[in-house]
Amino acid sequence: MATTTATITLSSADITGDALNLTKSTILNKANTATGLDQFTGITTVVYAAAQTAKNIVDAGDYANTTTSHKVYIKNSSPGTSDFVTVEIGGSNIIMGHLYPGDWCFFPYEGTLDVDIDTSAVGMKVEYGVFSQSVAS
Amino acid sequence: MATTTATLTLSSADITGHSFNMTQSAILTKAASSTGLDEFTGITSRKYTSAQSDTVIVDKDDYVDTTVAHKVYIRNTSTGNSDYILVELEGTNIFLGRLYPGDWMFIPYAGTKNILVTTLALNVGIEYGVFSQSTAS
Repeated sequence: MATTTATITLSSADITGDALNLTKSTILNKANTATGLDQFTGITTVVYAAAQTAKNIVDAGDYANTTTSHKVYIKNSSPGTSDFVTVEIGGSNIIMGHLYPGDWCFFPYEGTLDVDIDTSAVGMKVEYGVFSQSVAS
Repeated sequence: MATTTATLTLSSADITGHSFNMTQSAILTKAASSTGLDEFTGITSRKYTSAQSDTVIVDKDDYVDTTVAHKVYIRNTSTGNSDYILVELEGTNIFLGRLYPGDWMFIPYAGTKNILVTTLALNVGIEYGVFSQSTAS
């Protein structure tokens, strides 16, 4: 099986009185196992000519669910500072948060609810991808 | 204002037909601004001696909402490969996904819903922190 590593580094000299420098790595394994995730969508890059509302980018119907360890990556690749991507979960489009230009997110995905996005302006560039397991553990 | 950087590296030699290696860095700024986020909770580390059910780890009442660029980091610090943390947004079964031991996540946070965790095992370890802006943009 594949070996995929995800590493985060959070650093700041001045966000608090003690300099922050945190690095954590994880190997992306299937739920309850030491076996690597075996599926990857690749990184999709899209430039949306029009602003989007509830645009589905991760369809729960495409993934095994419940006992899973899927991971989702999304980035707002637009320039400037103001054009944001709203990340939403499920049919009621519960808002997780907003990605401003350059912001990215990486989170576990249960495979039970869609992931949708809104974009606030025309011509916004978004990239996303899903690492997943082909069958639930 | 503070300068805080979040860097993501995803790499795999064999998840797809070509070697995959991607690094993305973002400076954490306030919404629609080039000014850095000005608040940070620090990284909280806990070991839950009992199983948790919908335990609030990020309380929306602590944060301004709507036009914000807060970020949330969560990691399962447990060992082994089975003791997961289920991460949810406040509501009815708004499941994001499961963090298995070593897994981490980093998401934008709108400040409109609590973030909750559920664990099944005893002595599950977690660390989490919130980078936020003191006033909405």
